[in-house]
Amino acid sequence: MAGMAQTNTIDGASGFAVAPGRAPDRYFKYWLIAPAILLLLAIGLFPLIYSLIVSFQRVTMLDEDYSFAGLVNYAQLFRDARLWQSLLHTAIITAIALPLELILGLLMAQLFLERLPGRQIFVSLLVLPTVISPIVAGATWRLMFDNRYGPINQILGWFAGKPVAALWTVNPDLVYLGIILCEIWQWTPFMFLILLAALSNVDKSLTDAAEIDGAGYWRTFFKIVLPAIWPVMAIAILIRGLDLVRIFDIIWALTMGGPGTMTETISVYTYVQGFQQFETSYTAAMAFLVIVLLTVIVTWAIRRMGLAK
Amino acid sequence: MKFLKRLTLTAAVGLAVGWTATAWAETAAERAVNEAKKYSGTTITIVWEAGLQALDPLNFSGPKWKELTGIEVKVVEAPIAEMFTKIMQEYRAGTGAYDALNVVPAWMPDLANAGALEVLDPYVDKYGFREELQKIAPTYRDNQMTVDGKIYGFPDDGDTFVFYYRKDIFGDPTNQAEFKSKYGYDLAVPTTWKQFAEIGQFLTDKYQPNMYGAAFFRSPGYGQYMFQERFRNEGGKFFDAETMKATINSDIGVRVFTEMRAENKFMPPGVEQFGFVENLAAFLQGQSAMTLSWPPYGRWAAGYGQDVEAFSWVPKSTIAGKVGYALPPGGHPQLAAGFALSVASTSKNKEAAYLFIQWLNSEDVSMQRVQLPYALRDPFRDSHFTSAEYEAKWPDAKAYLATLKQGAETGLLDLSLLQTDKYEEVLRQAISKLWAGDDPKAILDQAAGEWDAITDKIGVDKQKAIYQGWAAKSGAYPQ
Amino acid sequence: MTIDRPLLRRPAVALSLRYAAAIALTLFFVFPVYWLFIISFKTPEEIFAFPPAWYPKSLQFANYAVLFRDGDAVTVWNSLVLAGASTVIAMVLGTMAAYSLVRFKTGGENLAVWIISQRMMPPIAIVFPIFLAYVWLGKFGGFAWVDSYHGLIVLYTAFSLPYVIWMMRGYIEDIPLELEESALVDGCTRWQVLWRVVFPMARTGLFATSVFTFVFAWNDFLFAFVLTRTEVITYTVQVTHYFGGQSNFWAKIAAMSVLGTVPVFFTVATLQRFLVRGISMGAVKG
Repeated sequence: MAGMAQTNTIDGASGFAVAPGRAPDRYFKYWLIAPAILLLLAIGLFPLIYSLIVSFQRVTMLDEDYSFAGLVNYAQLFRDARLWQSLLHTAIITAIALPLELILGLLMAQLFLERLPGRQIFVSLLVLPTVISPIVAGATWRLMFDNRYGPINQILGWFAGKPVAALWTVNPDLVYLGIILCEIWQWTPFMFLILLAALSNVDKSLTDAAEIDGAGYWRTFFKIVLPAIWPVMAIAILIRGLDLVRIFDIIWALTMGGPGTMTETISVYTYVQGFQQFETSYTAAMAFLVIVLLTVIVTWAIRRMGLAK
Repeated sequence: MKFLKRLTLTAAVGLAVGWTATAWAETAAERAVNEAKKYSGTTITIVWEAGLQALDPLNFSGPKWKELTGIEVKVVEAPIAEMFTKIMQEYRAGTGAYDALNVVPAWMPDLANAGALEVLDPYVDKYGFREELQKIAPTYRDNQMTVDGKIYGFPDDGDTFVFYYRKDIFGDPTNQAEFKSKYGYDLAVPTTWKQFAEIGQFLTDKYQPNMYGAAFFRSPGYGQYMFQERFRNEGGKFFDAETMKATINSDIGVRVFTEMRAENKFMPPGVEQFGFVENLAAFLQGQSAMTLSWPPYGRWAAGYGQDVEAFSWVPKSTIAGKVGYALPPGGHPQLAAGFALSVASTSKNKEAAYLFIQWLNSEDVSMQRVQLPYALRDPFRDSHFTSAEYEAKWPDAKAYLATLKQGAETGLLDLSLLQTDKYEEVLRQAISKLWAGDDPKAILDQAAGEWDAITDKIGVDKQKAIYQGWAAKSGAYPQ
Repeated sequence: MTIDRPLLRRPAVALSLRYAAAIALTLFFVFPVYWLFIISFKTPEEIFAFPPAWYPKSLQFANYAVLFRDGDAVTVWNSLVLAGASTVIAMVLGTMAAYSLVRFKTGGENLAVWIISQRMMPPIAIVFPIFLAYVWLGKFGGFAWVDSYHGLIVLYTAFSLPYVIWMMRGYIEDIPLELEESALVDGCTRWQVLWRVVFPMARTGLFATSVFTFVFAWNDFLFAFVLTRTEVITYTVQVTHYFGGQSNFWAKIAAMSVLGTVPVFFTVATLQRFLVRGISMGAVKG
C-alpha cells in the first residue's frame, strides 16, 4: 500500500531513470520513441514545409504562380471576416459539445462501472455511433431530421400532441441544435469508453475505504476518483477538443455550412477554399493560422491541466 | 445506240458513286472501333460520376468497347461534387492517371484555361467526327463543346429542366370548373410563375395533406439552378455587360426571391430541405401535382426501367400514365449541369481515349446509351428526339421526347465563367439564407457584392471577356 | 445518482434504476443506427413513407447480396486491413513512445506538444502535399504509393501515433511505479518490464485506445479519397459513391454500413474483458 500515494503522479519517474549499473539503458528511452518519431517526421514534415512555402506564393486554381509573394496571404487572413466567423462558429460548437460529451460520458461510465447483467451487450451497442462513417451518420441524421420522411419530428409530435414542423437543417434557430445533437450522439461513446477504462483502473479498495470512513458519494468522487482518472480524462478532453475543431462531415451533410455561412466552421471553410476552389496558397496560410492558434491554446491547456509536469 | 451509250454511262457512274458511298459509309462509331483495335490490350481510365451514372460504362459501354477493340476500360468513380477536385489534383500532380474525363460544361473554362483538357479538333478532323458532332442538338452543340472556339469536350448528356405535372389532376373536370370560377382562366400548364402560384395554391387547398400543388428540390445545390432559370426567364441579367458589375440584386431578382419563398407555403412542409430524391419520392408517390426536374423523372414516373435492380432505391411510380411534360413557366428551361466527354491533357493514351469518347458520343452508340433502362444520360442528339424505338417505350414517350427537344431548343445555359463554382457558391448561400427568413433584398445585395469581389479578384477585364463570350451564346439569355 | 442514499443502497432498486438508465441511453444512441440498418431492408416506399415506417415489412437480403456480387463488399475488407494494420503498428510504436515520454520525460514538454500538434493540422491543407509526395515516391521508388495498401497504412499509422501516444501517456501514468521497479530489482531487463508489467497493466487503456485508433482510421474519408483511384477503395469512399446528384442508393448505403459495422461490433464485444481490469493491486473487485 505504500506506493498508493505515488500512483497518480509522475514525480516518481525521475527516480526511475536511475537504475543500478545499467549504462546502455541511457539509450533505451530513445530506442523506444525513435520509430514513432521517425514515422511522424517522414509523413508530417513534407506537408508542413510544402504548405509553408506555398503559403508565401500565389497558387490558385487559375494561376500556378510559384514566385515569392511575401505575406500577401497572411495579410488577407486578417481582412477575411468569413474566416474569423468560422473560427467563432467552431469555438461555439466546441465550447458547447465538449462539456456535454464529457459529463454525459462520465455519467455513462459510472453507470456501467459496476457489474450489470448484459453489460457486454450494452457497451458494444453504445460504441456503434462512432463506428458509423461520419458521412453516413450525417446523411442518416439528415434523413431523420427530414420533416416529411424522418422520425424525429414524428416523435416530437407525439410529445407535443400536435404535428411539429421543425426544419432542423434550414431554420437558423435550430441548426446549431441539430448539429450539436448529432455530434454528441456520435462522440459521447468515445468519452464513455475512455473514461470507463480509466475508472476501472481506479483501485476499489481506495473508494471502499473512503466509504467506510463515511465520506459521501460526491466527496469520494471528487477527492479520490477524479484525481485518479485525471491524466486520462484530461487527454481525452484535449483529443476530443482538437477533433471538435476539425468537425466537418456532420455539418456538411446537414447544412453544408448554411444557412448562408451560419454554421460554417473552419474545416468547412478550408474545404470550400482549398478543396473545391483550389486556393492552395490561401488555404495553406489559413492552415498555419489554425495551427498557431491551436498550439497556443493547447500549450495553455496542457499547463493548466497539468499534463506536462 | 447513243441512248444505250448514255444509259450505260449513267449506270456506270451511278454504280461508281454508289459503290464509293457504301465503301466510305463507315460510321464514326465503326471508324473509332477500327482505329482503336491497334491499341488492343491497353487500358484506358475514365473518370465518371459515381453511382447510377457509372453503370453505363461499368455494365454497358465499357464491356462492349472491350469486346470490340480489346481495350480495357477502367472507371474511376467520384461523387459529382468532388469530380472537379479529383481531376485537378491529378492534373496538378502530373500523374497522367486519367485518360478520358467526364466534365460538367460549366467547368470547362476553368479546366481548359488550367490546361487540363486536350484540344480535340485535330482528332475530330483526323477521324472524321465533325459531321456527327453537327447532329447534336444545337443548344448543347453550340454551347457545351468549345472554349475560345476550340473543342474541348463532346456534349454527352441532354440535361434540361422539365416541368412535370399530373395531367389527370389538371384534366379533371371538377377541378377545371372550380379553378375557372375562382381565377377566371382555364386550368392548364402554367406559362407564368404567377399562374403557377395560383394553381399550386388552389390544388393544395383542395387536396392537402395527401397531395400538394407542387414540390421542388429547394435545397441550395438545386435551388440555385432554379434561380438561374427563373431569373433569366423574368428578364434578369447576371452582370452589366459593360461594367461587369453583378445585377442579380435587381428588382427582378428580389421579386423572384420573394415569390420563391411565398410559394413554399403551399408545398409540403419542409420542402426547403428537399433534395433530388425527396422530391422524386413525393412526386412518384402522388404527393405533389407539379414539379421541376431533369429528364429521368419523366422516365421513372412512367415506370420505365423500374424493374432493373439499379433502381431499387426509386419508389415505385404510382402515377404512370398520369404525367404530362411541359416547359417551365417562362418557356426557357435551365440546361442544368450536363456532361461532356473530354480527354485529359496529361494522358499517356490520348488517341485511345479519344477514340473511346468518339465511339461513346457517336450517333449509333449514344442512341443505345440514352435508352438504357438505368441511363442517366438524357437524349441530346436530334436523332434521339425522333427515335421511333424510344417513342415506343411508353405511351407518352413521344410527348416526352418532344418536350425534351423543345427544352433543348429553348434552354438556358448554366452560368459559366472563370471560377464558376465561387459564384454558384454565393447563390447557394443566398438560397439557404432565403429559407432562413432573411430579407430578399438584403440577401441579394450581399450576394451581388460578393460576386463583384470575386470578379475583382479574378480580374475584371479577364472575366468580362469570358462573360461576353458566354453571353453571346444563343443559350445564355432568352432570345 | 443524487437520490436518497438509503434507497440507493438497496441493490434491487439501484439495479433497476441503472437498468432503466442503461436502456434509455442505449435507445438514444442506438436508434439512429437502428434507423440506418432497417433502411437496408426497407423498400423505397418505406424509406420515403409519410408518416415514417418504423420497421420494414419484410427482411429482404437482396441488398446485401448485391454488394457482394458487385464487389462493393471488398471495400469493407480493404478498410479492415488498412485500419487494422495501422492500428496494430501504431499501438505498438505509440505505446513504446508513450512509455518513454512518461517514465523518462524524453524530449520534455516540447516533444510532447510537437507530437500532438500533428493533430492540429487541418487535413485539407496537407492532403495534397502528401498526394504529391506519394506521386513522387512512386516515380522514383519504383512501386506505387498512390492507390496502394502500404501507402495508406503508413499514412494512417503516422496519423494515429499522436493519439496513441497521448492516450497511453495517461494510462501509463496510472500504473504504480513500484511494480516496474520491483520487476527491475528482480532482474528483468527494461524490455521485459515493458512487456511483462506495463503492457498487461495498461490493458484497459490499450483496449480503449486501440478501439478508437481503429475507428479514426476506419472513418477517414479525405485521405482515402485523394490517395486511391480504383485499387484500394475503402468502405468510406465506396459509400460516398452511393450519393449522387440524381440518385441516392439508400439501400446500399445502409447495407454497406451494416457490413462495415458488424465486424467492429463483434470485435469490441469479444475484447471487452480487457476493458475492465480484473486484477488490481491488492483488490479483486470489478
